[in-house]
Amino acid sequence: MIVETTRFGSISVVEEDILTFSEGMLGFSKIDSYVLVERMDESLFLWLQAVKKPSVAFPLLEPQILDRGYKVELEDEDRKSLKLGNDLSGAKVFCIITIPTDPTKMTANLKAPIVINLKKRIAKQVILHSQDYPIRKAIFSDLQQHCATHQRTIFPTTETTAYQAIHLSDEMKMILKEV
Amino acid sequence: MLVLTRKLGEAIAIDDDIKIVVVQIKGGQVRLGIEAPHHTKIHREEIYISIQEQNKLAAESQNPTPVKNVAKSVRPS
Repeated sequence: MIVETTRFGSISVVEEDILTFSEGMLGFSKIDSYVLVERMDESLFLWLQAVKKPSVAFPLLEPQILDRGYKVELEDEDRKSLKLGNDLSGAKVFCIITIPTDPTKMTANLKAPIVINLKKRIAKQVILHSQDYPIRKAIFSDLQQHCATHQRTIFPTTETTAYQAIHLSDEMKMILKEV
Repeated sequence: MLVLTRKLGEAIAIDDDIKIVVVQIKGGQVRLGIEAPHHTKIHREEIYISIQEQNKLAAESQNPTPVKNVAKSVRPS
């Protein structure tokens, strides 16, 4: 199917790569289908694009980029609704980034990350109640450093705008390799 | 909104399985104890609101591209 987006144009998406947020995101409870989108270059951000709302997309980053010791302790209820076991295997965690008009003021929400069960294609924004993480962590200078050492870029370097949906089965394979 | 007056130590029952007790009253603060089933979501309201607001800002994030072709939405949310 084709997903229309205001930021990335039309993107071709396979049904099995669509994520279901049965409770929606906080403040967006009516939107339950999203797809992960990446730019086909070395730039850093992924986007969580609403399938049926072209204008709604959240920039995402892997939390380990921002905080090496970042660890998600899921509450039982979240674990249950995500159908995950104790060890979070097969799960992928992302933090939502806010990129304002002045991108040097971008922040990350470490308090309420997105957890994805890659196998079952279900996801949820969880609140880490027992963990003291900020909702707005300034990240620009950390990101600059990260990009310098890992040969990535915060912003795209080319003007060609090619975006693609991320295949969850590929993500799954990557995780299994890491373990 | 239903408004009830309660004294220290008194409680409010909601359905068969939720109980809210006034544990302490001190200065301008009230401490509440809450008994509820596991699946009931209980949060300090401001955390919820703060995350909702942050999500709304995040969803308006501009796509950082070298091309300035994105017409900026100025529609207030």
